[in-house]
Amino acid sequence: MVEFTVRRALRAVLTIWIAVTVTFFLLRLLPGDPTLLVVEGDMTPEMQQALRVQYGLDKPMLTQYWLYLTELVQGNFGTSFRQLQPVTEIIVSRVPWTLMLAGSAFVLTILLGIPLGVYAAAHRGRRLDRIVQMFGITGHALFVPSIAILLLVVAGSWLGWFPIGGAIDPDTRGLAAYLSLFHHLALPLISLVIVQLGPYALTLRTNMLEVLGEDYVKSARGRGLSTRRTLWKHALRNAILPALTLMGLQLGTLVGGAVLTETVFAYPGVGRLIFEAVGQLDYPLLQGAFIMLAITVVVANLITDVVGMLLNPRIRT
Amino acid sequence: MSAPIPESTRTATAPSRTGGLRRFVAQPTGALSLTVLLVFVVTGVFGPLFVDRPGGLGSEILQAPSSAHWFGTDDLGQDVFAQVVWGTRVSLTVGAAASGLAILIGTALGLMGAYSRRADAWITTVTDLMLSLPLLPLMIIVTAVAGPSILTLTVVIGLFSWPEVTRLIRSNGMVVVAMPYIDGARALGAGGWRIVTREVLPAVVPLVVVSVLLTAARAVISEAGLSFLGLGDPDSWSWGRIMLNAQRSGVLSTAWWQTLFPSLAILLLVLAATVAGVRFNDSRDPRLKDR
Repeated sequence: MVEFTVRRALRAVLTIWIAVTVTFFLLRLLPGDPTLLVVEGDMTPEMQQALRVQYGLDKPMLTQYWLYLTELVQGNFGTSFRQLQPVTEIIVSRVPWTLMLAGSAFVLTILLGIPLGVYAAAHRGRRLDRIVQMFGITGHALFVPSIAILLLVVAGSWLGWFPIGGAIDPDTRGLAAYLSLFHHLALPLISLVIVQLGPYALTLRTNMLEVLGEDYVKSARGRGLSTRRTLWKHALRNAILPALTLMGLQLGTLVGGAVLTETVFAYPGVGRLIFEAVGQLDYPLLQGAFIMLAITVVVANLITDVVGMLLNPRIRT
Repeated sequence: MSAPIPESTRTATAPSRTGGLRRFVAQPTGALSLTVLLVFVVTGVFGPLFVDRPGGLGSEILQAPSSAHWFGTDDLGQDVFAQVVWGTRVSLTVGAAASGLAILIGTALGLMGAYSRRADAWITTVTDLMLSLPLLPLMIIVTAVAGPSILTLTVVIGLFSWPEVTRLIRSNGMVVVAMPYIDGARALGAGGWRIVTREVLPAVVPLVVVSVLLTAARAVISEAGLSFLGLGDPDSWSWGRIMLNAQRSGVLSTAWWQTLFPSLAILLLVLAATVAGVRFNDSRDPRLKDR
């Protein structure tokens, strides 16, 4: 168990290192040289050289890479080209919003997906099962901004039920602030859950059907255990593992969806930051934001794996 | 893999009401999805010949859909229908080309992984690593640096979409590689290249067809997403860009038609490709018949 966790943790570190390395060299080897952007045309050669030294661009690439890595390990993502502030500071102020949005979408998808999947498997061919199957296939076809804009226009603008942008009303205090927080979170959250839920419930349903055909489930029924107990206690426990793994694998997609939703709702997370940084071609900020998201996804995946192992009745110690 | 269904199984599943109903439903959806795909292809290829390229400033600003402007007009007075028609071409081109690229890489790596155990360790690791990263943000960075254009979008989406294909082809290829006729081929003196291309590849071709459709569907979504984030080709129309324009000019709530119609186009195209892929897959897998 400890060995498994350590091995997974090492792999997580390796994944992050590869993400860092790939983006570092991609950004420097691609034709559009980002470093030229800092150096503006009408500067004197001395000023240009001073800037290059300031950003470390005068050194050989491997030295730059090494410097970048050592700084990164200390939590320094470099300096933003446009906002002239440390990238770390900018990103750290945005990360909690994305974590809250993506995290609650993750949890809500699981909480809704499990009963849906189990029910659909237990009542094969009934109406709800049909609906789960339909959404399981169409879920992949949904374009996040389409859903987000639909919700924003109908539930936000026309009906006026929810705020159409931002993350919190700055004038609120105490309990009202929390309510405002949830009120602003609702639409972005629902957009993400709508896209994730169908495929998730469908996977759970398929796993359940497989498990329900296995001998130990039949024997549980044979021993006279009730349908409900067999379903929720014996079958679900084994069906949930692959579903959890799938959810872990979907984390990257979930974060991608968060980038799009945040853009639609002007939600102040890392995704919206990326959208703004693209417009300004702020490479250190883009790189930092991506690495931050990669770290988030990889760590969340690690947690999912370890939790999955703790839940696995076959490896109980 | 393609063993005919034993007669007994066939009669055993036939009386199940849902099984019969599903097979009945299966046919029309398969046909319908193909028809929708065809309509999009025809629109993408021939549409721009009949519809003027949207551009410039019009006097009819933010008009609701009417007989003159089927999908309404945007805040510059441009016809949204024309934008959607011209965008069809870009979405289809990027979707098809990126999918082709991803399939080439994915199939090659998947077959390599299935056949050679030494290559497999590396391929699986790289595939898992790729799948565990947030790919949209990665695509955003690369597209931004390389400079947005249709070619950039195609290459970037293609280069980041192969891992799913690799996984599918590899896992199925492994089943094929373990079959006796591969040993037979080896015993007859066939080399690795010949076995992979002549014996294993044909067995996974149906899966490749499914992958083409599903990958193209995902590529269309990726293209729309990148265009929506402002990374589309600035010189050509795309569905994501139409929606971005609506968002930028702050007319989301008033000019609902400017986001609704491109959204419907994306939904229909992606859905048709997905359903066609799934139906094709189901139609050749007897085990899935009563699921």
